[in-house]
Amino acid sequence: MTERSLDDLLDEIALGLASAEDQSRIEAMAAQDAALAARLDRARQRFAPLDDTAPVLPLPQGFWQGIAARLDGATDLATTGSGETAPASGMVVDLARVKSRLGRWRGTALGAIAASLLLACVTGWTLLSPPAPLVIAVLMDAEGEAFALIESGADNTTRVTLLEPADVPAGQVMQVWTKPDEAGPPVSLGLLVEGSSRTLSISGLPAPGARQLYEITAEPAGGSPTNLPTGPILGVGLAKEPVL
Amino acid sequence: MTLTTPGASVTIASRRPHPGGAGLTAGRPVSSHLSKGTCGSHPHGGGFKIETDHAALIRACASGDRSALKTLMEAEGGRMLGVARRMLRRADLAEDAVQDALVLAWRRAAQFDPSRGSAKGWLYTILRNRCLTMLRQEDREVSSGASEVDDTPAAQVLASAHGSLETSTGLRQCLDRLDGATREAILSSYVLGHSHGEIAGQTGTPLGTVKARMRRGLLKLRECLS
Repeated sequence: MTERSLDDLLDEIALGLASAEDQSRIEAMAAQDAALAARLDRARQRFAPLDDTAPVLPLPQGFWQGIAARLDGATDLATTGSGETAPASGMVVDLARVKSRLGRWRGTALGAIAASLLLACVTGWTLLSPPAPLVIAVLMDAEGEAFALIESGADNTTRVTLLEPADVPAGQVMQVWTKPDEAGPPVSLGLLVEGSSRTLSISGLPAPGARQLYEITAEPAGGSPTNLPTGPILGVGLAKEPVL
Repeated sequence: MTLTTPGASVTIASRRPHPGGAGLTAGRPVSSHLSKGTCGSHPHGGGFKIETDHAALIRACASGDRSALKTLMEAEGGRMLGVARRMLRRADLAEDAVQDALVLAWRRAAQFDPSRGSAKGWLYTILRNRCLTMLRQEDREVSSGASEVDDTPAAQVLASAHGSLETSTGLRQCLDRLDGATREAILSSYVLGHSHGEIAGQTGTPLGTVKARMRRGLLKLRECLS
């Protein structure tokens, strides 16, 4: 796809002219590609002033209740009455209220609570015992100092632990790259927007292997506009498989 | 060893914040070379506006704070209803669309990434997508409730949208440089949600001509706004 036609497509998505298929394809790509996401956002922002030309209409009575009743996601049932006092800790309290009010929802509510508890247990267990990474890479800076530790699982969930305070100019962000195919182009794993260690996830890449290259560069805010590394290298290294 | 592409050039300017956005994300509304010469001291907006930090509200939604969603609704719901009404032309469908959009925003709040675009833009994108989906479904399913259909002529809605764009904005100035038919077509698609086919039908123009005309117009807009 040429640059020209990509620009056309992004504009057509912003206007609502693109097919649902094209739109979801580009949005899925943008979810993994900061540069494309920024271009799509720019296309949308070009037309956004038109949103502000719409009249501000009064919201009808009960509008918020209609929304609040659907926030738990499980049902679209219309809860009646004084439903606006839901505390921030939402879910359990709300289900209890529904349960007491509507006996026939009791089973659903209990099931949901049980599912929540199970999910909490599973999540807790998963967090407490992370799977051993498939590969580990130590990224070195230009002085040969260890700059960051990369640990990636088979699904390319990549934990990036910075080992040195990052020296990133104002207005720039760190962007993490890898080369799943030694002969292919580098692929962005994501941005370290906060400038601190974090775990990045990406789908659609093959499981990482030994000698796979990882790199962190400094890029303009929002990520490399070309979707290839453009900025100075802050750390670079090859992955190894841990001996377990 | 490096990944860096030596010849890679940076061709894209930094992201522009939502021009109409209040709050922390509001930035320079007009690129300077476009604003010179016209309405130099045009006051932006009117009256007082409560500052809304959309991004912070969406983050709060992600952490389960319902009051944040309610604040978002109070800040943007009326405008969202106006946007939905223009596209769907029915009060009941427009209300459904805005409620759906806010529920979707709540569910997707954790996916919002401020580094990838403005918060207000994110919210309106959800709304517009919802409206477009309903519009495309409506052709097949719903044609009842004629009494609720807003019968304001499309041309009038478009003229109002165009006229309400501040003359100081780049979009207004660049739209005004397009020929009338191209400008109408672009406005119809964004404001009314019309497809290429609908625009062709309404203007009695062959579909291929409409598509080509709009692409040329969009290219001119990009060049003009860049």
